[in-house]
Amino acid sequence: MRIAVTSMGNTLDSPVDVRFGRCPYIIIVDVENGQIKSWEAIQNPSVYARGGAGIQTAQLILSKNVDVIITGNIGPNAYNVLSTTGIKIVTGVAGIPVRDAIEKYLKGEIR
Amino acid sequence: MKTYAISGVKGGVGKTTFAILLSLKLSENKKVVLCDCDVECPNDYLLLKQELKDSNPIYREVPELIKEKCKKCGICSKTCKENAIFWIPNQYPKFIHNLCIGCGACKIVCPFNAIRMKKVEIGNSFVNKIKNNLFLVTGIAKPNISETGPIVREVKKRAIELAKKIGADYVILDVAAGTHCNVIQALINTDKIYAVTEPTPLGKFDLEIMLELAKKLGIETEVVINKYGIGKEKEIEEIAKKYGSRVGIKIPYSEKIIEAYMNKELEKVVDLIKW
Repeated sequence: MRIAVTSMGNTLDSPVDVRFGRCPYIIIVDVENGQIKSWEAIQNPSVYARGGAGIQTAQLILSKNVDVIITGNIGPNAYNVLSTTGIKIVTGVAGIPVRDAIEKYLKGEIR
Repeated sequence: MKTYAISGVKGGVGKTTFAILLSLKLSENKKVVLCDCDVECPNDYLLLKQELKDSNPIYREVPELIKEKCKKCGICSKTCKENAIFWIPNQYPKFIHNLCIGCGACKIVCPFNAIRMKKVEIGNSFVNKIKNNLFLVTGIAKPNISETGPIVREVKKRAIELAKKIGADYVILDVAAGTHCNVIQALINTDKIYAVTEPTPLGKFDLEIMLELAKKLGIETEVVINKYGIGKEKEIEEIAKKYGSRVGIKIPYSEKIIEAYMNKELEKVVDLIKW
């Protein structure tokens, strides 16, 4: 399973960014048997987009074959296109490290 | 016929109030069309105690996909500067109409002619007769339209058409706050910009942005100081001087004016100002 988390920084200890389209980093984590197997941090080029940042970020995440997105809040434009792709969207996550957000999701504490 | 824009970048400085006051003053002996270009939340009609009826729709063109012709190449999405086309490899592009400005670039670049333009309603305009010599044209954007520049362009066009038809002497454009496309659409090709401000640090800061923009557009300006007497009026005058503009009308900060405004009796305010 591949999970994308919007993040304020480029490590697993960085806090989850509540913004979807304009988060500075996206952390993509590969999970196997309930454990984090590997991860990568992608710098988000849409931080300074004039408009449609959410659309660009959604395109970027989808190009990485992700199954789940964990973030704080997704704007209506990005939400509408993402909801048709079958990807699972978890919102309302904020103020905790990316690693904790993944663990909470795997334990079923956030969904 | 002269076209004056009432702008000023900062919100809450009295742009709408001044636009109405100026229109009322000019219409004492001239024919005036006042146009509310703040299409995201027009309020001139409220202050003039009017009701909006008989709407006239405003359309814009947006792209539509011809699926049989589309090869899912994604060139349209890569071309779109507004990020209004969502595309992922091997899938059809999705057009996000409320981000689209209707430029048609996607249609031009599509190698398979798989995009056509269709009309969608993005707003409405209304006309109210306030009195014999004064008409109000109001534009309203539909909710969820984030790019309102095209609506302003159309409402302004309709106001100017009406002015020509009735032989008006002045078109007064009440412009929204800020400096985005919706504001620039209203300002271009006007004869003069009344830059409304207040003698506060924020008023001063935004006035400078306003005058800089007017300079870029090559339009003459006149600074209007509202709430005159509450702060550092001298600094406002210095900024005006720096940009080759001048301070014209000063609306004093007075209880009488506020009271008349609260009671929507702007005709009374007109008499309280030194024109």
